[in-house]
Amino acid sequence: MFSTLPKWRTTREALEAEFRSSYQSDSSVMLNYRTGKTSRWMVAVAIGIFVVAIVSYVGPKFAYADIANIDLGASIYTKWLYRNNDSQGVLNLGNPFWPDNISGDNGVGSEFELRITGRLSQYVEAGARIQSRFGSLWQDWWENGDIGYDEHNTSGESLGMNHAQYMKLRGYYVRFAPPIPTIQWITVGASDLSMFNPWTIGKVRYIDRDNAKGTFVEGAVGDAREFSYNLAVIALPKLWVGPSWSTGIGDPTLVNPFYANDWAYGAKFQVNPDSWGRFELVGTVTNDLEIDTADPDAQGTIYPTCEDDLGNEVPGCQDNKNGAVGTFTRYLNAVLTLEAQLDPAEIVTINLLGGLSMQQLDPQLATNGVANSGGVFPVPFADIGFFDKSYAGRVRVELLDPFEVGLGMKFEYFNIGENWVSMFGARREADVLLTEGFLGGGQLPTLNLANEFVDFDEQWYESIVGWHGGTAIFDFEYNTFGISAEYTFITYNTNGQNRDVDFTYPTFLHSEGFTDIDVYDYANTLDRGRDPRSVYRRHQDRASHIAVVNADYVIDAGRGIEVGAKFKMIADTDKRSEDEESGDGIISGTTDDDYSGLLLHGKVSVAYPFTDELRIGVSAELDRWSEQNRDGLLLTDGDGNVTGANYGDTDTDKEKVSATIRYDFEGVHLNYLFEYIHKFQNRELKPDQNFHIVQGKATVEVSW
Amino acid sequence: MRYLSWIVILSTLTVANAAFAEVITLTDPKGDDKGPGTYEYPTDGVYRPGSFDLTKVTFESSGDDTIIEVEIAAKIEDPWDSSAWGGNGFSLQFVQIYLDTNKATGSGHAETLPGLNARFSSESAWEKVVLISPQGKNRLQSEVNAKAKALKDDVVIPRKTSVKGRTLRAVVSNADLGSAVAKGWGYQVVMQSNEGFPDKSDLLTRKVNEYAGPHRFGGGSDWECDPHIIDMVAGGASGNPDETKAQADALKYTCDKGGDVGKSTLATLPMVYR
Repeated sequence: MFSTLPKWRTTREALEAEFRSSYQSDSSVMLNYRTGKTSRWMVAVAIGIFVVAIVSYVGPKFAYADIANIDLGASIYTKWLYRNNDSQGVLNLGNPFWPDNISGDNGVGSEFELRITGRLSQYVEAGARIQSRFGSLWQDWWENGDIGYDEHNTSGESLGMNHAQYMKLRGYYVRFAPPIPTIQWITVGASDLSMFNPWTIGKVRYIDRDNAKGTFVEGAVGDAREFSYNLAVIALPKLWVGPSWSTGIGDPTLVNPFYANDWAYGAKFQVNPDSWGRFELVGTVTNDLEIDTADPDAQGTIYPTCEDDLGNEVPGCQDNKNGAVGTFTRYLNAVLTLEAQLDPAEIVTINLLGGLSMQQLDPQLATNGVANSGGVFPVPFADIGFFDKSYAGRVRVELLDPFEVGLGMKFEYFNIGENWVSMFGARREADVLLTEGFLGGGQLPTLNLANEFVDFDEQWYESIVGWHGGTAIFDFEYNTFGISAEYTFITYNTNGQNRDVDFTYPTFLHSEGFTDIDVYDYANTLDRGRDPRSVYRRHQDRASHIAVVNADYVIDAGRGIEVGAKFKMIADTDKRSEDEESGDGIISGTTDDDYSGLLLHGKVSVAYPFTDELRIGVSAELDRWSEQNRDGLLLTDGDGNVTGANYGDTDTDKEKVSATIRYDFEGVHLNYLFEYIHKFQNRELKPDQNFHIVQGKATVEVSW
Repeated sequence: MRYLSWIVILSTLTVANAAFAEVITLTDPKGDDKGPGTYEYPTDGVYRPGSFDLTKVTFESSGDDTIIEVEIAAKIEDPWDSSAWGGNGFSLQFVQIYLDTNKATGSGHAETLPGLNARFSSESAWEKVVLISPQGKNRLQSEVNAKAKALKDDVVIPRKTSVKGRTLRAVVSNADLGSAVAKGWGYQVVMQSNEGFPDKSDLLTRKVNEYAGPHRFGGGSDWECDPHIIDMVAGGASGNPDETKAQADALKYTCDKGGDVGKSTLATLPMVYR
């Protein structure tokens, strides 16, 4: 083996590490290094001889020519998505607020990605990723956009670029290691923001993995990096980190949204005194600024001549006419966490995390979405101080097989204040609690979740703002048999009567009933239950119990038959309105609205690897949900006093069967998922609902 | 009474556990996760101190299977959410266990799986290698098929791989090993890091460079001559601090200045015989 270039010039690992290594998708990972069709070998040899001749002639002059410094990687990804309905597109759940040009349940589309990195030396590296726009269907011959002609037109073309599959610059960075004490790397450009934690600034989701841009410094002290730090200044995403999911764009209170100076600041300090422990302090601030429209120098100022509508001079205005424009903070969020990982003994690990948060929100610069958008708003519409019930705490203790019989135990206590607010926290693809929760996905400490731009096979995430409780998990392994049992109890810091959900606390409109992630729609036309972000209610006295048992076993037959079983139970109660003492006496509630829900879920699965490349699995799931007083109306008199309730019961039966096929061959990865879902909803106050859903998703992916 | 029944159950399990026949134990000193003595972890925060520091490995017969437990110094985490890519509950570690089952010179393979930049002597050539990886079976098998075709018959993928605390656990069929672990076998346990997007010839291994990067080890060479091995068993594998030096000696290498691997000296890995 002869290597003519050092490994940082001959591999694409560096590039992949930057763009993808912290997302270990099991697809798009293999290399296809087949050399091409043999019928073209003579052409290839001729070209090779020509290149060698040229290189031999001028070789020394460009031994390290630019091209030798470039690593290229590429991927092609194709997705088929089909369902027994008539919507067209290649993404099940797209944008929840306005129609996009991607989402739909029937279609097949592809995308192409090109990754480029270069290393100037071991101290300097740069990279970029470009990718075609996703969303065009294979049927879209000659398509260059989705803006149609006003008049009848048979050209098959449209006027925009959205379906034109154009290549778009997604991420770019320069990283260097200057000879400055303690500094290891300085990165300018794209990052996945994985250096902080889900409570503060969370790692961005995979599809946004290089959309975040900023300047990042990482450094360390000590041979074993006993002390290390990360510092970052990050450009605030203008379309989601802020009130109404924007830093001003589209906010009707702003004439000229000013987002170019909106930044997040982050610092992490980590101490690793020894193998027995680690301490990590993270502090982050997000700051959304807007211009002072009273400043006479501002674009679109309300005082261009320093006179008011009546022609009177505005006091102090002339003094402000100085060529500089003042700014106000529209929204500011600060989050601080301290985490300790302690390993005091071989059989015990302890993790402690405490956090504080605050926010400052200017009601003159941000529209109140709680009041004006039906309660759909990513934070409470109020200023919140650091000690205004805006804390978070978690204690996790794990006993690592203390009896040496394969039995492990995990215990967790969690307490998240009702006003905990983390605007830039992880939106998905992270999980901060041990429990499986209500949805079986992840639990995250923010209302700014992203259960959108996803397909039906992806994980769901729920907000834990206000959760207070504990989890115990026991797991046991013997040979290829494994079983785990979880019990979680949750009560809620958001419990209370007469919470202001009209102007302050967002309800996300739909707060009642178990959430059905199999039959979900954003507008809730299908009665899919609670929005995973809905943690506040006007009247609430809720408690929940979750019990889960999972078992798996590999039967020693052939290549090993993998079988699994799961049982889950959720008992959820909410007394909703209750008698409450106030200064005026007792405000009466009612028991007619008391909610009681019982969810039972069972699943069995079996999978078998028929060959080295082919694995086929099937599973069956059964759900029986019984919910008393699932939804309805609270009846009140003219003074707002509760006089009764009109709530109805709902019983839900659901059956699901699915099949998976996975095939990996020489760098080509094929995945197929088929599902049939039958759901029947027996509703007391509304007509019953019956669903028969047949859907499938297939992907083929190759990287080289 | 409830507690008594628990105690009885646990005692029974303990006795049953102790009743297994052969247990082979290899121990390794803490703090020697520096390869030949100079290696550094990647700088990204997910690579916690001790994450690649091998401390103990046990092989235990259980019916038709062998249970292999690999213990490391730090709690094993799953920062890249392996469940999302069909993985086994951890993300970072990748352990390769080479077995010399016959101690016969010239028998077996002297080369390691691709990506380690190391070899065995012909006296210590291996017959089987067990892969304890966070990657699912399909992915692992397809990588082996593509990049180690000549060795694939001797690559053993566990029937089940799991993680608990600081321990990676693999259940390996004795039939795949050729037999149950037996006296006289040689063992070499190599600690590497799982790289989901490896170089085209590397079998899911993370590289070591001269200078550590966010996702690359440092302290080695920028040429393909340094062993991509962060920790391993050495000496008598009894956990003696001297074994740190034995490891450093075993992982010695030289690099040709022009990057010619043929003119470089790769590290030669020893076997530990039990």
